[in-house]
Amino acid sequence: MNFEPVVLFFVLGVVAGLLRSDLKIPGSIYEALSIFILLAIGLKGGVELAKHPVGDLVFDGLIIVLVGAIIPLVAFPVLRFIGRMSRADSASIAAHYGSVSVVTFSVGITLLGHEMLEFEGYLIVFLVLLEIPALVIGVILARHGEGTVRWGKLMHEVFFGKSIYLLAGGLVIGFVAGAEGIKPLDKLFFDLFKGVLALFLLEMGLVASTRIAALREYGVFLAGFAVVMPMFSATLGIVTGWMLGFSVGGTFLLATLFASASYIAAPAAMRIAVPEANPALSIGASLGMTFPFNIFLGIPIYLWMAKTIHAI
Amino acid sequence: MSSQSLLLLTILSEAVLEDILIEEIMALGAKGYTISEARGRGTHGVRTGKWTAGGNIRIEVIGDAELCSSIVQRLQAKYERDYGLLMFTCPVELQN
Repeated sequence: MNFEPVVLFFVLGVVAGLLRSDLKIPGSIYEALSIFILLAIGLKGGVELAKHPVGDLVFDGLIIVLVGAIIPLVAFPVLRFIGRMSRADSASIAAHYGSVSVVTFSVGITLLGHEMLEFEGYLIVFLVLLEIPALVIGVILARHGEGTVRWGKLMHEVFFGKSIYLLAGGLVIGFVAGAEGIKPLDKLFFDLFKGVLALFLLEMGLVASTRIAALREYGVFLAGFAVVMPMFSATLGIVTGWMLGFSVGGTFLLATLFASASYIAAPAAMRIAVPEANPALSIGASLGMTFPFNIFLGIPIYLWMAKTIHAI
Repeated sequence: MSSQSLLLLTILSEAVLEDILIEEIMALGAKGYTISEARGRGTHGVRTGKWTAGGNIRIEVIGDAELCSSIVQRLQAKYERDYGLLMFTCPVELQN
């Protein structure tokens, strides 16, 4: 069994929430932890990126973004016509699933470390790229030519919201500094990463425990969607990674990236761009269901899928 | 001691709207505002403030009745339908 002990901190948080423990991570600490994780992931990607000719990544990037765009386009009709949800809710949830989760990705990376598997470090660039198209597609699907969209405000939220800004900023700094230049920061950003991730997962568990109950109100369909959709997206990722010639680790991480659903960047962007969508539905599904599914069951399954396809 | 009678308008809404609401309030002629983070429960469910997208803010503006009512009307028309929004005024004596 591929098991990464860091996910147990998530369980600790969920149990604390369900048992109404007075455990609470102060908002400012949570902010600091998320800044750390985003910067660390960005830096790691930048250092790896510096080892590769950037031009080679353009083709891979284009394919990955195009395949990634399939996810919200498949999710939307499923939610709208099978789930009979409103246009706004379907579009908002589709955008959450098309967008990505940095923490899910981080858990994937720690599992690879645990398994001693290498991966293409520049995949982190795609983490930044994949965040954007799904949000734009979600807004277009929600509007369908009606009503006005505050594109300026939305784009500002997407590009200068802390997730993209810090990830991209970390990438640039890592790229400019290179492996040698970043050495003095290694102890803080790389050696401590897993510990910080553990604390962050504890907080995610606390938050998720309040969402699991909310999800119950919205029935079996959404809960089913929150499990089936990431499996579908992961399969897309496995096939894409394999066809692009990624290693087992890289194929697995691309699948994890596709399978993950956003719960930090997408909720804020969708709340502004599609205000009539009910945020309890999208966050309940992505954080209450898909996130725990991915870190406990999904990630080991995707790793198995990646190993299997490479064994063929 | 001279004091001036004004209204204190308190707006409780979603943290994600902070920039947008401030823009509206300033455009309507407010001289300033105070923002604090808040959490609570209302018709939009529990707002725990446990992570960025889930928190509330409390915006306080002091102004004359005309300013307060124009802010209330604008926010009500544009944001009440889709967002958690609660507004109330109380008379205040400005001391400085």
